[in-house]
Amino acid sequence: MDLTAPAIEIRNLDKYYGAFQALRGIDLRVARGERVVICGPSGSGKSTMIRCINQLEEHDGGEIRVFGTLLDDNLGSIDEIRREVGMVFQQFNLFPHMTVLENCTLAPMLVRRTPRTEAEAVAMRYLEKVRIPDQAGKYPGQLSGGQQQRVAIARALCMQPEILLFDEPTSALDPEMIAEVLDVMVTLAQEGMTMVCVTHEMGFARKVADRVIFMDNGEIIEEAPPGEFFDAPKSERTRLFLSQVLGH
Amino acid sequence: MTAIPLARQGRLRRLRKDFFGSTASTMMTLASVAVILALLRWVLNWAVLNATFSASATQAVCAERSGACWAVIAARWRVILFGIYPYEEQWRSALACAVVVVVIVLSCLPRFWSFGRLALTWGFGAAIFYILMRGGVLGLVRVNEQQWGGLPLTLFIFVATGVIGMPLAIVLALMRRSELPVVARVTGWIIDTIRSLPLLSILFTCAIVLPFMLPGFLVGEKLYRVVFGIALFFAAYQAEIIRGGFQGVPRGQEEAAKALGLPYWPRMARIVLPQAFRLALPATINQFVIAFMETSLVVVVGFVELLAAGNTAYHTGEWKFAYIEVYAFVAAIYFAFVFGLSRYGAYLEARMSAGQRKE
Repeated sequence: MDLTAPAIEIRNLDKYYGAFQALRGIDLRVARGERVVICGPSGSGKSTMIRCINQLEEHDGGEIRVFGTLLDDNLGSIDEIRREVGMVFQQFNLFPHMTVLENCTLAPMLVRRTPRTEAEAVAMRYLEKVRIPDQAGKYPGQLSGGQQQRVAIARALCMQPEILLFDEPTSALDPEMIAEVLDVMVTLAQEGMTMVCVTHEMGFARKVADRVIFMDNGEIIEEAPPGEFFDAPKSERTRLFLSQVLGH
Repeated sequence: MTAIPLARQGRLRRLRKDFFGSTASTMMTLASVAVILALLRWVLNWAVLNATFSASATQAVCAERSGACWAVIAARWRVILFGIYPYEEQWRSALACAVVVVVIVLSCLPRFWSFGRLALTWGFGAAIFYILMRGGVLGLVRVNEQQWGGLPLTLFIFVATGVIGMPLAIVLALMRRSELPVVARVTGWIIDTIRSLPLLSILFTCAIVLPFMLPGFLVGEKLYRVVFGIALFFAAYQAEIIRGGFQGVPRGQEEAAKALGLPYWPRMARIVLPQAFRLALPATINQFVIAFMETSLVVVVGFVELLAAGNTAYHTGEWKFAYIEVYAFVAAIYFAFVFGLSRYGAYLEARMSAGQRKE
């Protein structure tokens, strides 16, 4: 772990599912503190790509480095990276048999060996940050979707990661709950968290992204700062996608 | 009509609707009630009203009345409960049963659910049971495993099956879903092989064939070989039950645990297994009930467990007529244990889903 190295450095990444090539030679660099939004049609490989960064998917070719550490077959380096890279999922994936507080303290206590009292204090701080400290004693099944996703963000933050990955965090939410989750994400972005977000929320992208990346068919088609990306897209495919997403 | 509270009125209406809602259902209700009453009367007559309770009654006395002759239990209960265990030492058997029951009850209490406490309880329990039953130390006369019998033997086989079989089942289930294809496939074969063998053939193999195949120092007591065989059989079935539980746990659960940096064992122990167990609980309780009943099969390799001890109890010229009473007594003992097990299963299910229901 070298915090002066680029947060994420991906070179020529390939990924296959059987004969199907999901990722074709992806190159991507994310600096520390940078906010990157990835968009693209479904099946374009954007989720697959960010799931490679914490090795929920194994890649078949190319290199991934996180803060200079190469992700290879060395299980130790994978564990090390996962401690520093948090992830928020589309389906929340909270642990249903544990309370909100236990969800938040489990990993710090088991992985970082944080004493319980300290882990709980940290958890309460992040639950306050996502504005649901009063739900700490409840089980995930008793919360709304928006509340669950905010707990999931707090859970990831409790490991005090250097990078947060978001995999379509608002896609499974009812419309009226999207804003409360995006608000939390905006706050995190403003505080300087390194973020890679796969999302279709173009308003969010315009507001906080340093760079927007458009993927299609397993390739990065275009990447640009949000102003340029939304107002003057270079590629025909990007223009088509934007007209479909923003067009109504 | 005036003073019936509303809730009761609702219940009455519900009752009328459910049982007397149509002509057909009224007839079914009346017929069922008639059958149940007839059965109850018959059982009551036999077991209580026309029965002989006097402990000193002989066959002749019993024969004068048409009901059960409970004198057989008074005369033969020690044979039923303790089998061929030496008569003078049977207090040790009784104490050993008590120890097993206490250990089981303690480990069912949530406050004992930590690795340290369970290990301590079970370690102590096993040691006391073994010393009591086998003796040879502390001035207790040595009693060989061949002479163990009745309830303590049944409980020993059942508990040992669970204690050995359950961890084995978990390991097999985890190996079966290993990411290494070789491990997964070989485990699958092992499970399928054990499942395709009848339990009886496994018992015979362990009791009779193994001693010829194993080197001398590995042979050990027949009882332990047999228990190992039953545990293996139990584990093969239970592993599949746990695998079913695994399949009900969403993949995202394990991914979330991975993303938080949890290594394999904590991931399994804290996230995947607890959820899989919850899903597998009804089938698991079922498997334990079956395991309890199947302990009676060890009679074929020469062990006098509870049911076999019951057989021995009435197989004397004097009591040959009273086999129904003996079987009723044995059945009541099985029922007490299995019913307790079922109720405990229901309690666990309620407890596990308690906090997680939507309010």
